[in-house]
Amino acid sequence: MDLELGQARQTFITESRELLQEMESALLTLEADPEDQAAINSLFRSAHTIKGSSGVLGIEAVEKFTHFVENLLSQMRDGEIKARKENIDLLLECRDHISTLTALAASGIEELSPEVEANGAALTSRLGELLGAQEAKPEAKGAAKEEERLDGPSSAADAWHISIRFGQDVLRSGMDPVSFLTYLAKLGEVVSCTTLFDSMPPVEDMDPESCYLGFEIDLKSASDKAAIEGVFEFVREDAAIRILPPFSRVASYVELISELPEDTLLLGEILVKGGALTSRELEDALAKQRATAPGEEKPRIGDLLIEGGSVHAETVAAAAEKQKKNQSAGAKEASTVRIDAAKLDALVDLVGELVISGANIEQHSARIADAGLSESASVMLRLVEEIRESTMKIRMVPIGETFTRFRRVVRDISRELGKDVDLVISGGDTELDKTVIEKIGDPLMHLVRNSADHGIEGPEERKAAGKNAKGTVRLNAFHDAGSIIIEVADDGKGLDRERIAAKALSAGLIQHGAQLTDQEVFRLIFEPGFSTAEAITKFSGRGVGMDVVKRNIEALRGTIYIESAQGTGTTIRIRLPLTMAIIDGFMVGVGGSPYIIPLDMVMECVELSEAERSAADRRSYINLRGEVLPYVRLKNFFNEGGLTAGHENIVIVQYGGHKIGLVVDELFGEVQTVIKSLGRVYRDIKGISGATILGNGQVALILDVPRLMQSVETSFMARSA
Amino acid sequence: MAKTVMVIDDSASIRQVMSLTLSKAGYDVTEACDGSDALGKLTGQKVNLIVCDVNMPNMDGITFLKSLKDKPGYKFTPVIMLTTESQESKKQEGKAAGAKAWVVKPFKPEQMLDAVSKLIAP
Amino acid sequence: MEIRVQDNNGLSTVAIEGEMNIYHAMELKSVVMKALDEAEAVELDLSGVSEFDSSGLQIVLLACREAEKNNRKLSVKASSAPVDSVIELFCLGGLLGRRERKA
Repeated sequence: MDLELGQARQTFITESRELLQEMESALLTLEADPEDQAAINSLFRSAHTIKGSSGVLGIEAVEKFTHFVENLLSQMRDGEIKARKENIDLLLECRDHISTLTALAASGIEELSPEVEANGAALTSRLGELLGAQEAKPEAKGAAKEEERLDGPSSAADAWHISIRFGQDVLRSGMDPVSFLTYLAKLGEVVSCTTLFDSMPPVEDMDPESCYLGFEIDLKSASDKAAIEGVFEFVREDAAIRILPPFSRVASYVELISELPEDTLLLGEILVKGGALTSRELEDALAKQRATAPGEEKPRIGDLLIEGGSVHAETVAAAAEKQKKNQSAGAKEASTVRIDAAKLDALVDLVGELVISGANIEQHSARIADAGLSESASVMLRLVEEIRESTMKIRMVPIGETFTRFRRVVRDISRELGKDVDLVISGGDTELDKTVIEKIGDPLMHLVRNSADHGIEGPEERKAAGKNAKGTVRLNAFHDAGSIIIEVADDGKGLDRERIAAKALSAGLIQHGAQLTDQEVFRLIFEPGFSTAEAITKFSGRGVGMDVVKRNIEALRGTIYIESAQGTGTTIRIRLPLTMAIIDGFMVGVGGSPYIIPLDMVMECVELSEAERSAADRRSYINLRGEVLPYVRLKNFFNEGGLTAGHENIVIVQYGGHKIGLVVDELFGEVQTVIKSLGRVYRDIKGISGATILGNGQVALILDVPRLMQSVETSFMARSA
Repeated sequence: MAKTVMVIDDSASIRQVMSLTLSKAGYDVTEACDGSDALGKLTGQKVNLIVCDVNMPNMDGITFLKSLKDKPGYKFTPVIMLTTESQESKKQEGKAAGAKAWVVKPFKPEQMLDAVSKLIAP
Repeated sequence: MEIRVQDNNGLSTVAIEGEMNIYHAMELKSVVMKALDEAEAVELDLSGVSEFDSSGLQIVLLACREAEKNNRKLSVKASSAPVDSVIELFCLGGLLGRRERKA
């Protein structure tokens, strides 16, 4: 069981992460609108589910703490406690604490560190203060009923006697006496059982869906009374149940008989038959019973009677609950299936292999040139293509959740720095490959922090500049021709071109008197060790960061572009490929080796004539219909051997608004390839982003066009300067 | 023939724990993540017992229970409602809707199994 | 659930197949009672019963009671394992007379 429970624990960890995220969103919504009932409900339900699941899984620390939070939320939901600012603050801290506790549970740490313990205690006491008097209410425990032994002869029976008459409605609520008796039989040995159906009315009135059954049972069992009572807990309110322990006083049996609707003699017989009483005991007792004058106090059964409902007094006061529902999260879950990411990766791998083998088949079928085979092959290839697309779609996740996480970041920063900053999110539905989403979070976080921290001015400064005192950071995502664009924009002070240039100069990043475009200057902030922040805050500006951001994005085969106007703001635009795993490529041959260029970057192919070639070699650019086009001869770039062919081709590629020409020997055409990442050793080879295996088993390298472009432009500029 | 239990809860981990526990004990288990999901899945196949959370998005347990009572092939299905002690008002509402069996969250897996086997043997 | 009633010279055989539970209790009651009304002797063939709950048992008990009251003969000709286990649990073996258990 343990191993499998471990899996459930894993599910809990993932699930609580989502719920904590929902709690945070709800809290931030509430902060903006304290009356938002949907947010309060969602908040309550999230806490409630975390508490419930952690309890079931035995993660006590989480359960205990969340219980307090839930108490507060429950009162908030009932309008007894308002969603005031300080309460939201406290709840946010509590949320973080739950997050810490779940993270500890995730890593299997049972023992809490003193800090965590202390933090928990502090939060609990603050919650306690808020809950105030309500919490102090004593628990209304049902007075424990002690079994009383009155004087009088006891029965010699060593079995429990259970007398039960089922209510008429039990069958209709799905409660079947058969099940209860089956369960009861597991507690010991049923010595005798008498089924009574005397209460069944005449045929005409007998409702076959009603229950008319009663039982007198003698059970030898080592179980205690609570366990036997427990068997009938779900019909407690719909049945008359009497339980007599072994060796009960004879008088108790007599009492039982007199209280039951059936005939006294019949019941007496049943008890005797079941061994609860001897016939002598019964006779004596009945005689005595008859002798008792009316009005005189009867011997008590009292404690032996199980009165419906009174035994388990519920303790916590409940409040009216409004029937509002929060649709968002649940609706989403209703239509999703959770899959282990590893399984998905395995599927993607297989589909990748399928694509390759499809290409292989296509080659063979083209060689054999059989009409039927070509037909089948092309149908299959189309299906493979559809499978590929569907599989890729499975991996696509909307970026909205990642964006929402930054609301807290922006809030905390604006609090800390005394700024007023709004985070406006759009395009949250835009879907990205799961791997990309996972890896883009940190760089984005950094950019958002930077915007709120360095971009947006303080309220005074903003007012002085004639702007709204409240600053805005915008997060946006959208699709653009085979790429995803993510924008982080602020309406802050913009990048200071002069200061960046000055700083870069003093850091030796640029030469004195270098003529740089705005874009080139702005890009300097991505250089290692570059930071312009005057005051280092706890959020950003330690001189590490932007270079890491850039590296992370490049690792995703993405690029960054900065737009900034002094005084009006900065927009950072990240361009990412749709998927990481498969690309449509254009295959070329360079010195006998195949290379692949991502197809979406290929503009056109032109032949490089002998004349143009010698001219181009002199001036290191070609003339493309009057346009100056820098180029790179891949054969030289990659040191491929082989003779230069009679004529070469130029593949013109475009990326991020720039064009260059790649000189290759042969053009092979479009291929679909699965990217296999290069090993650690080859990772830093300039101009190569990965490799792929072709249908014929040959390895082809995939060109890293953005990096190629950079190196070409640099050398082009150096030469033309 | 194994009895089938339907587990309705919006928490995937709770569903997982219940499924594991019940299927180990010999029950067949189907899962649903809220009331409307469950109603959509009750289309003819036999379900011998339903374990249903009260507080769920989309369609809560009480609304589900009321709809269940109108479903011809399922109206007599026993239902165990899951609740927390802070939901007394819900419990009253549920009782009015005909819920008889209640299990208080958080529960231990064995407690759940116990409650289920009181109502149906595996 | 399926009920087949066969009349043979005043002996009516009521064969019940499938679920003899609350969902079919109404129908069961009327069919069994009608058979008791019309025939001198009724045999219940429960060998095809796959599920047997308290409501099913109540129908059998009702039939027993009515048969006795109206001087009709009622017997359970054959039963299935689900029926037997309920009868045994409720210690009702004697009430229903000789039964042949389906192999």
